[in-house]
Amino acid sequence: MEKSDKVKLIIGVSLIAFSILVIISFNQGLSPYLTVTQVVEKGVAKNVQVNGTIVPGSTVYYPDNNTRIFKLSDGKSTITVKYTGALSDYQEGIQAVVRGDYENGIFLADEVLLKCPSKYEVKKEEVR
Amino acid sequence: MDLGYFLLIASLFLSLFSSYSFFKSATARGKEAKKHAVNGERTLYIYTSLIIMSYILLTYYFLVRDFNVFYVYSYSDVHLSLAYTISAVWAGREGSLLLWALFVSILSVIFVKVERKDVVTALTLSISSSVVAFFVLVMLTLSNPFYRWEYYPPDGYGLNPLLRTPEMALHPPTMFLGYAGATLPFAIAVSSFYLKEERWYLRARLWALISWIFLTVGIFLGGWWAYKTLGWGGFWAWDPVENASFLPWLTVTGFLHGIMRNRKFNSLNYWLAYLSFALVVLATFITRSGVIESVHAFEQNPEGWMYLALIAIMAIISGYVYLRSKHLFHTEAMDFKSRDFTIFLNIIILLLGMVTILAGTVAPTLLKNVTVDRSYYDTVETPLGIALTIILGICISLGWKFKKSEVKKAMLLSLPAGLLMFAISYFLFQMFYVSLAISISTFSILNHVKTFSKSDLRNPRKIGGYLVHLGVLLIVIGVAGSWMYDEVYKNIAVSADGKQSVIDTEHFGRISLKLESLDRKDFPDRTEFVARIAIYQNGEFKGFVNPKTKFFNLMRKDRVVNGVDILSYPSMDYYTAMSGFSQNQVFVELHLIPLVSLVWIGSGFVIAGGTVSAFLKREAAS
Repeated sequence: MEKSDKVKLIIGVSLIAFSILVIISFNQGLSPYLTVTQVVEKGVAKNVQVNGTIVPGSTVYYPDNNTRIFKLSDGKSTITVKYTGALSDYQEGIQAVVRGDYENGIFLADEVLLKCPSKYEVKKEEVR
Repeated sequence: MDLGYFLLIASLFLSLFSSYSFFKSATARGKEAKKHAVNGERTLYIYTSLIIMSYILLTYYFLVRDFNVFYVYSYSDVHLSLAYTISAVWAGREGSLLLWALFVSILSVIFVKVERKDVVTALTLSISSSVVAFFVLVMLTLSNPFYRWEYYPPDGYGLNPLLRTPEMALHPPTMFLGYAGATLPFAIAVSSFYLKEERWYLRARLWALISWIFLTVGIFLGGWWAYKTLGWGGFWAWDPVENASFLPWLTVTGFLHGIMRNRKFNSLNYWLAYLSFALVVLATFITRSGVIESVHAFEQNPEGWMYLALIAIMAIISGYVYLRSKHLFHTEAMDFKSRDFTIFLNIIILLLGMVTILAGTVAPTLLKNVTVDRSYYDTVETPLGIALTIILGICISLGWKFKKSEVKKAMLLSLPAGLLMFAISYFLFQMFYVSLAISISTFSILNHVKTFSKSDLRNPRKIGGYLVHLGVLLIVIGVAGSWMYDEVYKNIAVSADGKQSVIDTEHFGRISLKLESLDRKDFPDRTEFVARIAIYQNGEFKGFVNPKTKFFNLMRKDRVVNGVDILSYPSMDYYTAMSGFSQNQVFVELHLIPLVSLVWIGSGFVIAGGTVSAFLKREAAS
């Protein structure tokens, strides 16, 4: 075999190996969102992420243990979410993704992701 | 209708006319060509002035708090300081588009002033003027910054509190200057191929480099801001917005390497120039249209289709020009044992990185109701990063002409030295990935040093390139340390009675926090609660941090911000945020982030290197 062919072979093999790695990690890294309704239908769900809107006026903050309880809705169903820890830029009425476990009607969140602020546009109806 | 809107309408027609005149001048001959060129140049100056005027006008509306202008209402309020009021002009989509158009037109004016006034310049300006026309058209149809609504509110909705930092004030304009800059290499590439000008890469280099420098500074500012903002997952979290800015950076980086050997990579360079332009347009679309944050945004926001149409039209033009002219350019064969081949590999790796990051970024838009976890990027991009740093060391040792003895000499020193550094650093820190990064970097840096001679001190391209490489290697070590070995402790209650809160960490021994004071400070636009906390590590006093919670007096609802405070040592950052407080305690989030300082120092080297490299005289680049 020519030397240049060998090099091509090595590159080809590494490209194939890399593509396999990409496909596998892509499939593993792809995690589906559940809607609030889907979670409620399930009844019990462990380690899931749920996408919804924080219901305005639903937040209760307990300063003694730095815990927030709020409601998350998708328009059809609503769940109660409990989260302890920092939440900078928190606001009601925006989309959030909560990650954690759902049991007995309460979602215990390990993580709450609020949607990016720079893209958050003012809705005209909101101020009228 | 507002005066600004009329200015934009005039700019649209003038930029189209300028584009047409320049095109005519590039394709006509003699007197006719001259006449068209003069027309094109004059209108270029006029529409640039009009866009500058409309930009100043918008800034003026912000300064006088004209909340009847909806855009002004959306991004500012009466308490906003002067500096942030000026920066609020580009806080939203409409203003950003105006900035884009402004930067492309100003760069076009500079271009016509410094370049030879020939057919390639004319055709390049024809393309850049049409890009200006595109962005003005988007503003006129769907994103009018001068839109006046029927209300005259006494106060504005307010600038997002998170954007009120110097980094975030400067990040968008640097980013958009980088984006606008990527227009020129693309325009030069297409024009030169169309007109069969072989030495196009010499012209494109400076503009690509300017674009690259601003992209780098912009990404750096964004990372620095994200690092200091709680909830953004550190300086780099593979967030779609971050990825969007990184994609064109990868292709412009590839382009700058490819044009060093244009004889070998002429076609590749042409397409890298196109890709860079397509990706900056895509990045504008991703960061400013909200397509990523919500799966429905695409249907609701027709602007997305306009951006995709621009990308597609330019692809068709590029493809047509390429097919028409490609037989005129021969590409020399590559020797596998030369530096050319490693440069080729480097470009391929950068492209693989671009494609995989792009796939992860757009997947949530194409497939509904999914997210792509960080693990995807970590497993895919890490091997690419490692391959890139190893190739970097090999590439440099090869030389343009392969000499076996030289390479052997370099490797005999750098290979054992790299292995030795692995052993030493592992013994010292017991962090495998950090040691791996240090060992690869040592190998690479030694090869750089070996191939640097005294005469190279007069070669800005080489000095610049080496500085960038050194910076990248430092960043790699910093990333290995701060991503693989950071420790996060959420929700530590620190009592007000002076008792220490103790945390036993995995790598860093025992950390204790002690609350010294908690103060309230009132400002015109906000109230802050500032905690003063002493940090001890293994009994030794490290310093004070002042994390705070800020309450802004705004109409907006997102007005409570957890302020971060960082105690920095070269070896580690003690990163704290106050996540809440009550009468007898504060809640602190503590991150211990080793070696993150190298990321900032490395970025400094990368930016400095790019700047040095820009001083290369054009004749010397050939």
